[in-house]
Amino acid sequence: MSLLQAIIDGILVGGVYAVISIGLTLVYGVMGIVNFAQAEFLTIGMFVAWFAWAFLGLDPVIAAPLSFAVAFAIGWVVQGQLIARVLNAPSVAQIFLTVGILIVIENGSLLLFGSQFRSVTTSYQTSSVSLGPLFVSVPYLIAFMMSLVCGIALWWFMRASWFGRAMRATAQNPAAARLMGIDAELMYRIAFALGVGLTAFGGAVILPYVTVFPGVGSQFVVLMFTVVVLGGLGSVAGAVAGGIAVGIIQSMSSLFFPIQLQNLVLFIVFILVLAIRPQGLIGASR
Amino acid sequence: MRVRFAPCLVIAAAAMLPLLLDPRGYWIRVLTITLLFAAMAQAWNIVGGLANQISLGHAAFFGIGAYTSTVLLVKFGISPWLGMLAGGALGGLAALVIAIPTMRLQGHYFALATLAFGEVMRVIANVWTSLTGGPGGLSVPFAPPSFAAYSFKLLRPHAYIALVALIVATSIFKAIRRGAMGYRLRAIRQNTAAAEVIGIDTTRVKLEAAVISGALTAMLGTLYAQVAVFFDPDTVFGIASISIRIALIAIIGGIGTAAGPVIGAFFIIPLEEIMNSLLSSRAAGLSQLVFGVVLIAVILWQPRGFVTLFSAWRARLSHGRAP
Repeated sequence: MSLLQAIIDGILVGGVYAVISIGLTLVYGVMGIVNFAQAEFLTIGMFVAWFAWAFLGLDPVIAAPLSFAVAFAIGWVVQGQLIARVLNAPSVAQIFLTVGILIVIENGSLLLFGSQFRSVTTSYQTSSVSLGPLFVSVPYLIAFMMSLVCGIALWWFMRASWFGRAMRATAQNPAAARLMGIDAELMYRIAFALGVGLTAFGGAVILPYVTVFPGVGSQFVVLMFTVVVLGGLGSVAGAVAGGIAVGIIQSMSSLFFPIQLQNLVLFIVFILVLAIRPQGLIGASR
Repeated sequence: MRVRFAPCLVIAAAAMLPLLLDPRGYWIRVLTITLLFAAMAQAWNIVGGLANQISLGHAAFFGIGAYTSTVLLVKFGISPWLGMLAGGALGGLAALVIAIPTMRLQGHYFALATLAFGEVMRVIANVWTSLTGGPGGLSVPFAPPSFAAYSFKLLRPHAYIALVALIVATSIFKAIRRGAMGYRLRAIRQNTAAAEVIGIDTTRVKLEAAVISGALTAMLGTLYAQVAVFFDPDTVFGIASISIRIALIAIIGGIGTAAGPVIGAFFIIPLEEIMNSLLSSRAAGLSQLVFGVVLIAVILWQPRGFVTLFSAWRARLSHGRAP
């Protein structure tokens, strides 16, 4: 029964991992850049939600759209002013530009907010609903539902809206998209801003069960990369499957290993997937 | 063989510096660390510069070197010089183990895989408490000063050892670049498929380069441990503190060139030290923030490294006009 419990926990946590990681895969899919600073936008989202809770009394789940908006705005500027300049540069420059952004955001938040840990208190934080012999944690469930809503909205945006179709066209062939009158630079900006916005949104919805501090993003870096690599870098549907897979791997390994080794299991899965099938285990198409 | 003037001048200047600095002071420590990081960036350059495989996990080898020699010294009283050789062997072995699965990967994928490998080593060092002392860290025990015990009263010998290490690392890099292996690595960088067609065993060349680079980095880890005297897993296996910094030094100086890592190290490490001493007392994070801004500025302004500035000056001098 603890196995089934672990699977349920894994799915709930993994749904959030999917939303956090979709941005990473979206940016790679559209412009071929791996954003090493992606996890820092999780930190930004968490801080926005924490301040909204502390000063406006908003529940982190309500504040999540605010986190999305702030990260979207920052991402808009970062893409336009910085990333756009290295789109055709060698991968070394791309990697180290985003590493530079990571260092700036992490230390900028250390400078602004200090190194102390902050958490929120909500009425549902420790409650859970029982489902026969199983327990479903309410904060996990709420975070999962929010992620689901967010995922469906993104799916609609990418499938049905003009912007979504234009973005996918740009990803497939920027030159042809330009000939069709699509502003590729605008699409890159939207993709990047949307991607970091989603990560920040995920940061807000996990705030009821994760403490925020300037280094919190770096704890999620390898996890996020594992999610997108499992699903195939560039595949949004793959990231959803990858997120749930990582959630389950993590909660299953907590049954067998001490907490410090959980990440080790994840890292090893990550290296193995990269080594055996770098195009991803799940969903080969973008 | 033509004797080049500039490198001899640099070496002579570097050999004088430790004599001029206060042997108990702060700056001789900065100089020693700078020389060690220059040597490590040079070792990174073998894989990163020649084959263009950007490793973000060299801290794995560095930490293996630091822990191997120190654990051997603490548990068995073995001289760090022998520990350095053992660390080098283990570092080379670790490089082989990680290179076999990741060698086919390129660009971002290779960077990601090596990043995760560094983290694997950090987690292991934190968890394997009986061997490493865990998160509490490890101290190099005091030994009566002697060369054989690799123990000195002052930092001056450490600075000279680091200088020798840098010269050795640079010589190895230049020898590889000039030799057949360098040609093969560059062929792989430009077009792996074409390199295979003309008969290069690309697998073998990449493995050889990875092992040399890993072993060298591990040996430098031992030298660092002897200077630092105390370290913990998060320092020697750190992503930002070691892996990124090593790669950054080579990139800022000029990737794939012999002078690049030296220029990069003498820019980055003293800059960081100055910023730390000026800014850290005012606000935590400020010096690292400035560091990140400098990094972004350099990548956008001079993506091929400072070495291109020097070659531009040289061209201007020799031609008497702008290049």
